[in-house]
Amino acid sequence: MLALIKRNLLLYFRNRSGVLLSLMSAGISFGLYLVFLKQGMHQQWSSLPQTNQLLDSWLIGGTLALTGISTTLAGLNQLVWDREQQVQMDLMLTDSGPLQLQLSYLISAALIGVLMQGLMLAGMWGYFSMTDGLTIAWSQLPAIIGVMISSALLATVVNAVILRWVRSVDNLGKLATILGTAAGFLVGIYIPVGSLPTFAQTLVKLTPGSYVASLYRQLLMKETLQTVFTTHTTAERHFERLMGIRLNWSGLLTFSQTYHIMGLIFVGGLLVVMWPQWRQHRRLRKIS
Amino acid sequence: MLLTAKHLTKTYGHHVAVNGIDLQIEAGSLTAILGPNGAGKTTLIKMLIGQLTPSAGKITYQTTKQPGVVFQTSVLDAQLTVQENLSIRAKQYHHIPSGRIQELSKQLGLTKFLSQRYGTLSGGQKRRVDIARALLNQPEILFLDEPTTALDIQTRTAIWQLLHELQRTQHLTIILTTHYLDEADTADNVYVVAAGQVIANGTAAAIKQQYAQNRLILTSGQADPQKLASKARLVGQAVQAQANVVTCLVPDAETALQVLDDCRSLISNFEFHPGTMDEAFMALTGKELV
Repeated sequence: MLALIKRNLLLYFRNRSGVLLSLMSAGISFGLYLVFLKQGMHQQWSSLPQTNQLLDSWLIGGTLALTGISTTLAGLNQLVWDREQQVQMDLMLTDSGPLQLQLSYLISAALIGVLMQGLMLAGMWGYFSMTDGLTIAWSQLPAIIGVMISSALLATVVNAVILRWVRSVDNLGKLATILGTAAGFLVGIYIPVGSLPTFAQTLVKLTPGSYVASLYRQLLMKETLQTVFTTHTTAERHFERLMGIRLNWSGLLTFSQTYHIMGLIFVGGLLVVMWPQWRQHRRLRKIS
Repeated sequence: MLLTAKHLTKTYGHHVAVNGIDLQIEAGSLTAILGPNGAGKTTLIKMLIGQLTPSAGKITYQTTKQPGVVFQTSVLDAQLTVQENLSIRAKQYHHIPSGRIQELSKQLGLTKFLSQRYGTLSGGQKRRVDIARALLNQPEILFLDEPTTALDIQTRTAIWQLLHELQRTQHLTIILTTHYLDEADTADNVYVVAAGQVIANGTAAAIKQQYAQNRLILTSGQADPQKLASKARLVGQAVQAQANVVTCLVPDAETALQVLDDCRSLISNFEFHPGTMDEAFMALTGKELV
């Protein structure tokens, strides 16, 4: 299986323009925010101290969630290609079975997701620390990497569920465009989710990526929120709900509740993705 | 028999792709499955290699080893080098000795372009790499689905030489599909397939003998060919006369010699055309093969 993962990664990173394009979707929303929205948002929240620190890390959280979605989708391109070009038939002739094959696609897509989020984080962190003096404590890095990994795993599995119905690379390209356009809104990268109409808020809550964005934001903004709001809990909660830092079910979700929800979606998605391969695996074992 | 298939059938809804095919493959033999596009050759191969479940029928292998398969379209990665492609595939098997790739590269002549990307190779080079990939786990049976389609004549010949060599030196059992009639000539056993059924089976020579007729074309020394025609008719079976040319259909070379001998004084020139696989196919199906 290691060889297959290596193959998928080699193929992904040899296609330089593909790597760049998969980063673009997140990069563009970052750029669009800077050009069109940043100033307006800053004015809106100018009454708060440390506006830059708050909004910059808020944007980073959302953008990283989006990066996870778009880059893992690009990573899963190989799966669709292999299925379309009948490469899977050839791979199935070997001693590694359908389960290993499917897992190799998922693991390599997740690795790509982690790496690309890392690159995006470095880029945005660098940019904001130069322009706005943004600081992220190094001590937070392990937790951030943890979210990065969970984000990549979740996005990979959710994307793989969607790809079960995609049979050609051509259609995958079209799907990637649609997802790239919609995901920015659904994850709530640059819109205060809490100000949306109820239906839109429900849509956001139905999008797994929004939980990832919320985790990132809770992590990156935690200290700043504490300093800004100190004891004004109600105001802090209002801000958190409005900005999608914590999603609202019957109350605002805590960090670990959000993680749990993601875990459930991940396990459910994984079952859907691995089920056909597991059945195939059983069938093959019966034959031989 | 290394491989036996009995009454193999594959249906898709109302469409019958393969209709009750029986095959018997002897160890060390080279079998050609000949048929036009859409005859069901690929479906048949897919069932034999276990990638399609037959709707009915039974396949029995006398070996537990995975077969080697060269697919109709390239299944290796264009962006990876030949070496990378082969070593990644090799790692998918449990027990491939470390020198296997080098050994195959030498045998199939890949050493010069091992570090070149697969996508940049010529059609013939790609095919050789495909064959090397199929032979990685030292299979007993090698399936090739239209291995020579879209290759130029020199490359086709080279691939055939290679296959015969593998058959001879490695005692490899080879099963291939093709729609090139002439290719079937060198096979030990030919199955002619049309509309999902085997319509003839045997050596190429036997099939031609049975279904294709040899033609003896005689040019009459005189302007009126009737005399020659009537004389030839006594020996040959069917005779057609046109201008001063008389065409006789003869069952074998012996009969042709007899016609020539009897009509010698009336003939100014002659041509002998042995029956071709194309004619056999025409006779069997009423359709041209290519």
